[in-house]
Amino acid sequence: MPIYELPLLLRIMPKPEIVSTLKRAATAIFEKGGFIRKIENLGQKDLPAKTSSHGVVSRQAHYFVIYFDVPPKHISNLEDIFNRDIDIVRNRIYKHDLTVNNKPCTLEDELKPPPYRRDVQKLLKITERQESRKKKFSYKSGLNYYPFQK
Amino acid sequence: MAYASLIRNFHNFTCRVLSTSNRLVHNVSPNVWEEKHRSESDKPTFMRNPYKYKKQECILCKLNIKPDYKNVRLLSQFQSRFTGRIYGRHITGLCKNQQRKVEQEILKAQNAGLMGYYTKDVAFCKDPKLFDPNHPFRPHKY
Repeated sequence: MPIYELPLLLRIMPKPEIVSTLKRAATAIFEKGGFIRKIENLGQKDLPAKTSSHGVVSRQAHYFVIYFDVPPKHISNLEDIFNRDIDIVRNRIYKHDLTVNNKPCTLEDELKPPPYRRDVQKLLKITERQESRKKKFSYKSGLNYYPFQK
Repeated sequence: MAYASLIRNFHNFTCRVLSTSNRLVHNVSPNVWEEKHRSESDKPTFMRNPYKYKKQECILCKLNIKPDYKNVRLLSQFQSRFTGRIYGRHITGLCKNQQRKVEQEILKAQNAGLMGYYTKDVAFCKDPKLFDPNHPFRPHKY
């Protein structure tokens, strides 16, 4: 099961209700055969823009991030459940990024003038190959003039 | 007795020198000796090109930072404070790979409601600047 991250924005409400909403979200995950690794509380913050959800406009929200594992086929189901919850202002499910960046930095190559860049050289090679495939009129064919429009 | 021991010691000393040093060995012809020594000590030593520039790296590769959608403070440094627009590669000075990742993570943060589409958090507006949009690394397209 891959790890997912669920940024949850809850509407402003008293603490017991927040607890119950989080419990609802957590049980939905458990019911799908998943488990929770971690819950982060990012606190109450202003939303970047006023957001209307379920007919209520909210300018602030309680921010939570839930890290959980669940079989991938249940993700759309979970999204549906969270979207129906009227206490949740917004939710997204992202895959937890475990990749390690081991690609070398290519900035040096990119700062070179175009004909020295590797990707430009590749393009030049492709056009060269295409040009070489085209048939060129040969003046030695017996005709003394160029038969096509110039 | 004293003289005898001194002579013996001298003899021992010279023996040691003869066995270790090639200079005093007679049976080696001078040409061979010269060649051998030239190959060992007179050879130019390996040295890196001192005039070669250090390889340039973008700031995220250099500091080994992985852009993350929850790290809004970092991501908003790549965003205009006036329009919320993500700056291009020619302004940010990032490598292709990192620029793509930053753009992806900004989009994720915006979708999750952590970051504005057209606005930048006022608290982040006075953060140190990583680059100057008016003096880009490479010229603007327009």
